[in-house]
Amino acid sequence: MRSLGIRWMSGCLLVLAMLGPGTVRSETYELKQMTPDVQAALNARQQRFSQLAAAKQAGTVGETNEGLVTPRGGGPEAAALAEAENRDRLTIYQAIVAQNGLPADALATVQRVFAEVQREKAAAGDPIQLPSGEWSRK
Amino acid sequence: MAVSGCTVKAVGDPNRPITIRAHITVDVKGLKQTASNIEDLVSGGSQTP
Repeated sequence: MRSLGIRWMSGCLLVLAMLGPGTVRSETYELKQMTPDVQAALNARQQRFSQLAAAKQAGTVGETNEGLVTPRGGGPEAAALAEAENRDRLTIYQAIVAQNGLPADALATVQRVFAEVQREKAAAGDPIQLPSGEWSRK
Repeated sequence: MAVSGCTVKAVGDPNRPITIRAHITVDVKGLKQTASNIEDLVSGGSQTP
């Protein structure tokens, strides 16, 4: 019984040692496989890019701090545009999580990083949501 | 940098199962570069994600 307890404790310590309290995973997260779904999402986003850029310049669509876009008073057309764009973006984000073996809750991290990139690449005047949740124009 | 939680189950004594909650810090530098490449591709750039 005592040896079983020691073995159990050793197993716990081994797992803790392997993980550490703040294990840093320093890796390159990428699209490792261009699946048909991902390819279709990328193609659709490329074809939609000019229309989306124009909507952002008009202020009817904005970039959220979750790596998605949201309609901002642009009516059904802006809503449909945002819905299609978000569907394709999420396909790509989920593929990055799955293909890199990240935990499911890493999706929020992926979205936050893409949002940061979108803010950096936004054109002057585009509506962007800051990390705080506040909306601004770049 | 971002923190994401995960649960690891260690099996030793079936009568005394334990659950360890660990936090993994994800280095997002590589992810940001990938994101940038993908957005360049979408906008008509030539980088491959």
